[in-house]
Amino acid sequence: MRALHRKLGRELLGSAGVLLTVIAIIAVGTGCFIGLGSAVRILTLSQQSYYDDYRFADFWISVKKAPLTVVERLRQMDGVAVIEPRIVFDVILDVPDEPQPLTGRLLSTPAERYDQVLNGLCLVRGAAFSDDRDEEVILSEAFAVAHGLNPGDRIGLILNRKRESFIIAGTAISPEYVYMVRGEGDLVPDPKHFGILYVKEHYARDVLDFRDACNQIVGRMTPGADIDVETLLKRMERELDPYGVLATTPRERQASHRFLSDEIAGGRVSSTMIPAIFLSIAALALNVLMSRFAERQRTIIGTLKALGYSDRAVLGHFVGFGVVVGVVGGIAGGGIGIAMAAGMVEMYKGFFQFPTFVYELYPDLLLIGLLISIVFAVAGTAKGVWVVLRLQPAEAMRQKPPERGGASFLERLPWLWRRLGFRTHIALRALVRNRVRTLTGVLSTSLAAGMLLISFVMVDSIWYLVEFQFDRITHSDMDVGMRDESSIDAVWEAQSLPGVDYVEPLLGLPCDLRNGRHTRRLAITGLSPEHRLMTPMRTDFVPIDIPPEGIVMARKLAEILAVDAGDALELVPVRGRREPVRVHVASIVDSFLGLDCYADIGYLSRIVGESAAVNSLQVQVDPVERAALFRAIKNLPNAQGLSVRSDVKANIEGTFVSSMTATFGVIILFAGVIAFGSILNNALVEIGDRIRDISTFRVLGYRPWQVAAIFLRQTLVTYVLGIILAAPISYGLIRLMVQAYDTELFRMPAIITLRSVIVSALLSLLFVLLAQAVVYWQIRKLNWLEGIQVKE
Amino acid sequence: MVAETGAVLDMPLLRVERASRVYRMGDVEVAALSGADLAIRRGEFLVILGPSGSGKTTLLNVIGGMDRPTSGRVWYGDMELSAMGAVAQTAYRRDSVGFIFQFYNLVPTLTAYENVQVATELVSSPLDPSEALRLVGLADRAGHFPSQLSGGEQQRVAIARALAKRPELLLADEPTGALDLQTARGVLGLLQELNRSQGLTSVLITHNPAIAGIAKRTVRMVSGRIAEIRENKHVIAAKDVTW
Ligand SMILES: Nc1ncnc2c1ncn2[C@@H]1O[C@H](COP(=O)(O)OP(=O)(O)OP(=O)(O)O)[C@@H](O)[C@H]1O
Ligand SMILES: [Mg+2]
Repeated sequence: MRALHRKLGRELLGSAGVLLTVIAIIAVGTGCFIGLGSAVRILTLSQQSYYDDYRFADFWISVKKAPLTVVERLRQMDGVAVIEPRIVFDVILDVPDEPQPLTGRLLSTPAERYDQVLNGLCLVRGAAFSDDRDEEVILSEAFAVAHGLNPGDRIGLILNRKRESFIIAGTAISPEYVYMVRGEGDLVPDPKHFGILYVKEHYARDVLDFRDACNQIVGRMTPGADIDVETLLKRMERELDPYGVLATTPRERQASHRFLSDEIAGGRVSSTMIPAIFLSIAALALNVLMSRFAERQRTIIGTLKALGYSDRAVLGHFVGFGVVVGVVGGIAGGGIGIAMAAGMVEMYKGFFQFPTFVYELYPDLLLIGLLISIVFAVAGTAKGVWVVLRLQPAEAMRQKPPERGGASFLERLPWLWRRLGFRTHIALRALVRNRVRTLTGVLSTSLAAGMLLISFVMVDSIWYLVEFQFDRITHSDMDVGMRDESSIDAVWEAQSLPGVDYVEPLLGLPCDLRNGRHTRRLAITGLSPEHRLMTPMRTDFVPIDIPPEGIVMARKLAEILAVDAGDALELVPVRGRREPVRVHVASIVDSFLGLDCYADIGYLSRIVGESAAVNSLQVQVDPVERAALFRAIKNLPNAQGLSVRSDVKANIEGTFVSSMTATFGVIILFAGVIAFGSILNNALVEIGDRIRDISTFRVLGYRPWQVAAIFLRQTLVTYVLGIILAAPISYGLIRLMVQAYDTELFRMPAIITLRSVIVSALLSLLFVLLAQAVVYWQIRKLNWLEGIQVKE
Repeated sequence: MVAETGAVLDMPLLRVERASRVYRMGDVEVAALSGADLAIRRGEFLVILGPSGSGKTTLLNVIGGMDRPTSGRVWYGDMELSAMGAVAQTAYRRDSVGFIFQFYNLVPTLTAYENVQVATELVSSPLDPSEALRLVGLADRAGHFPSQLSGGEQQRVAIARALAKRPELLLADEPTGALDLQTARGVLGLLQELNRSQGLTSVLITHNPAIAGIAKRTVRMVSGRIAEIRENKHVIAAKDVTW
């Protein structure tokens, strides 16, 4: 078959240009498969080995204060493999040269075996604890980097009304904080304002007054235990009940784990969806290309069959095109994939902290990618050739019977049709005649536009939520977290601090809400009657009314608890007097945060049994005296955390901007490849079909752009149809996205702005016009003297 | 003995019995072939003559295993072509038949040599492509692409391609239809010469009565039927053909 191979080779080279359009689409599809697939694997493996090597816990239980003896009892429970008590304590940090007080979390850890406990530390810089002194910390690496702190430097904090100064022994990371957020409330890590300080266990016990006690218990389950973690946690909760259980957290709900796992899950979906879309379009485009190719080689196919070539042999010959396209596309895709995986690992490094990223090439993924690419290319080719191939050779030798149904419905509207001009007629007839080709163009355009639109909507929606939260709901300049429930006096104390214009108390009351068998643990936010630094809002921007008695809750929560406005519920505070109280639901509101629940602060305090309790102060600040205020807060005895609203917002926005710009660039590029590639492929096939017509027009004296205008019309009609089709496609996808994000925690608004729609449409138009520019160039350089002699 | 050998030689190589080929296009039926009967002897040079649309190509296709009759039977020796499956049909075309077409049907992206090679690679004991090209007088053009050859030269490459397989049966559909008289004479002469020197059974289709004289036997077709079979008293040499 050497002769046919030579034919294949020469014809491949001859149509390299048009094949390249398909190869590009395949390469992107395969690239996404390999790139996203590798990224998912890299994350999964990095996660697994980190969790295994450093013993990531299965559950966390926070208590007010539990004696170590009770921990022993927990250790005896069925299904418990390891259990470790520890002390967690949030404090205000004082970093040299940093005017602003920062939030720190003290975590007790054994001085010797710090790397062998559950959630063991992985030392990054410096050394472990020394025996020289007790005031030593191992600092979380990201925080140290953000502040230029090195082992040997000092860091100060306020402990039990006393300023303490620590020497940084070393820096470390831990599997508990791969994604370093305080808790689920944080969207993105903020290493500048939140750090973890690992302190020696015995020191923490002494200083924090936890002799023979702890306030957090972490554990691991026996592998294969026939008890699930939720049941085990329920049992432990009963056992720990007298000591005030603040929260039980199975691994699935642990903030860092959840963010990481969500990223992996999302990557898994994208790594199949996106390649599937691209490869299908590539197969369609190849089908368009190869059916015309086979059509043009009709007599050659007939002749080969007449010579005695079997159908298999002829099919094999043409499928060779598909194989070459698939192999080239697959190899290019491998390159794209490797680059993409590397890029994603770089991006992940900004979010996730692993000892090492298990970054390697996965030959099997590359191979599977190559195979998939070949399969799609071969399928597209075989489908295109098959129509001609299955003809009897005698049939194949004959001219193709003229297409029927060439007349479009517009032709039945003579008054309109006549106005359109003959070049539009040609364009429209061509579109109607080659339905698959037209459909492929329309589909690609709409997918490109849809891809762009969805990305815009996604960003706008997140932006909207951030602005909603920071510009509509909260109006304070900073929030100071207070230890336990301080008395209302804290407000007066704060009022007298320098630079404070206005203070408002806030009480977050952790409790269980119960309605029969429906129950849910959450924090009710207590607001003062004249609250104005925090105005909870409904999704329609109407401030939520806080009743003097009873609670207001988000619709999602009401659904979880199966309650209506006016119903009564049982409320059990998690701390303090743990006696059930009956409260009634004053109203139910639509809110973006699913577990939103509000009440009057006085009302809540009475439930806890204190006259008026506070655990957070919202402060409005005179900017001139910020520095003085910062100094004062650093010395505020009961403060355990500080967040400055503008910092938090800037951090969230900055993180999104940096991660979105790269992602956006890639999405726009890919959308461009699909629209440009597919439209250009169509047009080049069309030019091949119509060389004689084009040449005739040129002989008649038409200028190249006038001929190209026929193709432009065709492309524009395709584009318009694509944009129309993009509407339902995007709508469906956005609905899917909103549903996917409609979790207990939060609801995604679908913010579709006119600007997003227009920009998506214009960008797609740009891709399509770029393809058109190539078409013009092709027509200009076409040798029409030769073209005129082409026989049909 | 002589008589017996004569009988074997006289047994037709190809038999067509009441063969019909009906094309159905929607509600309309077109009978391209309607009950044709024909026998072709081994070593014969036969010309099929007839006006356009009379079914010549259809008959040739049925004989060449390119198509199957709708009814009736076609035999090649003791193989029934009309009852063959696609695989056997392919094998028959490959091993027994050489085709020559009006428009040559060369692969434009292959050289003359390679175009012949396309055929020779299929069969077990072909002629060498260079040898085949030499037979048609194109040895020095082996490396040229079809677009660099004249019509007559292209047709000669096509003949070389058909010959190179060493077929038992050569089928030519209007091989000179696209050629001028001078070139046509050359091509016809080549076919005549091959038949004479190698005993290659050849069937040639034409609607040009002037060509009919080069064969001993001429079949005339009219609307899908064999209207007349005529034995030529004087076979004329191809170089004397004129129109
Ligand atoms: N695939 C087909 N579908 C429909 N009709 C066909 C088909 N093939 C042939 N015919 C019809 O059958 C008849 C005979 O066709 P055929 O090609 O055998 O004629 P021909 O004698 O070879 O003519 P010409 O000298 O013009 O080549 C014609 O009327 C033709 O239109
Ligand atoms: Mg014919």
